[in-house]
Amino acid sequence: MSHQLPAILFLLPLFAAISMPVVCLKHRHWSHPISVVILVAMVLVSILNLYNVIHHGEVQYVFGGWAVPLGIEWVADGLASVILVLLSVLGLLGVVFTGPTSPKDLGGRIVHYYTLILLLVSSVVGIVFAGDLFNLFVFLEVAAISSYALIGVAGGRALFAAFRYLIVGTLGASLYLLGVSYLYAVTGTLNMSDMADKLPLLLSSKALVGGLLFMFIGLGIKMALVPFHSWLPEAYTYAPDSISPILASLVTKVALLAWVRIIYWIFNASIIINDIPILLLVEVVGALAAVIGASLALAQRDIKMMFAYGGISHIGIILIGISQGNPTGFVGGVFYLLNDSVMQAALFFLAGVAFFQYGVRTIDDLGRIGKQAPWLTGALIVAALGMIGLPPTGGFFGKWYIILGALEASNYVSVVAVVLSTLLTLAYFVKLFEAIFRQTSTGSDIQFGVIPLSSKLTLGVTSAAIMILGLFSSPIIQLLLSHALPPRF
Amino acid sequence: MVDAFFAVFQRPNFLTFVIIFMWGLYIMVTRYNLVKKLIGMYLVQTSVIFFLVSISAKRGATIPVLLSITEPVQAASYANPLPHVLTLTAIVVGVATTGVGLALCAAIYQKYGSLDEQEILEKLE
Repeated sequence: MSHQLPAILFLLPLFAAISMPVVCLKHRHWSHPISVVILVAMVLVSILNLYNVIHHGEVQYVFGGWAVPLGIEWVADGLASVILVLLSVLGLLGVVFTGPTSPKDLGGRIVHYYTLILLLVSSVVGIVFAGDLFNLFVFLEVAAISSYALIGVAGGRALFAAFRYLIVGTLGASLYLLGVSYLYAVTGTLNMSDMADKLPLLLSSKALVGGLLFMFIGLGIKMALVPFHSWLPEAYTYAPDSISPILASLVTKVALLAWVRIIYWIFNASIIINDIPILLLVEVVGALAAVIGASLALAQRDIKMMFAYGGISHIGIILIGISQGNPTGFVGGVFYLLNDSVMQAALFFLAGVAFFQYGVRTIDDLGRIGKQAPWLTGALIVAALGMIGLPPTGGFFGKWYIILGALEASNYVSVVAVVLSTLLTLAYFVKLFEAIFRQTSTGSDIQFGVIPLSSKLTLGVTSAAIMILGLFSSPIIQLLLSHALPPRF
Repeated sequence: MVDAFFAVFQRPNFLTFVIIFMWGLYIMVTRYNLVKKLIGMYLVQTSVIFFLVSISAKRGATIPVLLSITEPVQAASYANPLPHVLTLTAIVVGVATTGVGLALCAAIYQKYGSLDEQEILEKLE
């Protein structure tokens, strides 16, 4: 039974998504409770799966009994299982949050809205577990298509942002597929572990390098790496407030995880392009992303836009961590990925509540929060501590291990980039808090209705999670060090 | 230089792929009409599918169904079915993406009464 857990994890949200339009045909208000129940079940199964993987080793799930390399394989190893526990918790929180805050004018389409969310969650499971390059492409596209539709669901300005995302995202997917076909042409296999076995003899092939670069650019577009990030801020800012947290915490992170899989599990991170190691390339791009993303965030006045750029800079920091080529940096990067998912969810929950209850969109309106909702300010302070990386939070330990890894590899540029990005993050949060505490709010102090319990709950849980990830950082880091390292380390 | 030139022309399928891909990219970047952008996107997708098909083409090979069960299998006489299956899946993904894109276009047209990117951007300001 326990070796079926990865498939169960995937099938739960998928079957719920498919049966949702039928089950909720007459009772559209059932769609929210059904999604919550399914995601609670997913959280439990993912914890069971993590327990199973830690105690009995990784699970290789082969579909339909067709042996690898002919069949499609899923690999539930330590890295995938740890990340999946966190992502399913965040998916659950996102769905809990979305109940009372979902767009009001959807009518009967609310059922399809939950169908799309569940489809997005199931494709995330697929991306995390995929042990096959083409399978990964299919799930990346399922995730992308559901997010295009979810962003555009509320209409208005979001439609245009969703269309831009669709055009750019599809270009990324095509480049990724092109890279996969290059690698297939060279190696004759799509299975990741099989390809890893065949590659050492073929490392001089130019097609291999070309394919790797195409894949990097394709996934770079999907994870909003700096030169290709232009779709993200608009898409996340104009998306419905209930959708932004789910998108921000799931979609870009799984694309990054796919890149980690390709570079460490297939290529063993040893490939060199024209005397430039691929890890150095990733590190430089990551450093640029970390600094440029944070400086762009400093220039924003819309708070959702600011948080979106903050997320872009954190993608850069995670890339710096995983590109150090030593276990410390790798584990720091993965740990920071976990933290970043939680922090992005927390920030977009905050932005959603601030808009829904107090009509706050830009920095100038923020003064209203300070007066009326001290608890919201409190949650923002916790999230800010995490984003800046101050000691009790998980963000601090993530950055700490990344810097330790960089020092170990004597990559001082990385250290400078992380520190610079931290200072810029500090700067834009200072700007936020200045607006809150100066209380020079223009406009009326209106509050729209009572704050729903679900919003308070999600804010509380994410704020607590930022702290818990920090307080329990050493067992989590130990777990990652012993179970989530790539085969080469 | 001349050798490189002739090497390119020995593989017309790669040349065709590059032309279609760049053409699609050019349309996506330069045209303001949203439907034209979608057409460019579709060309890019199709070019990658064309590339997949062209690298798996094999002269004198047949479909991967055994010709005879008594003789040993001759791999050289069968076409590799895997790239074609990948192609099918990629086409399905492409159709789904184009469908969502067209739905977004229709919604944008209903909302703004135009499909021209610049006109819409003016209305958004």
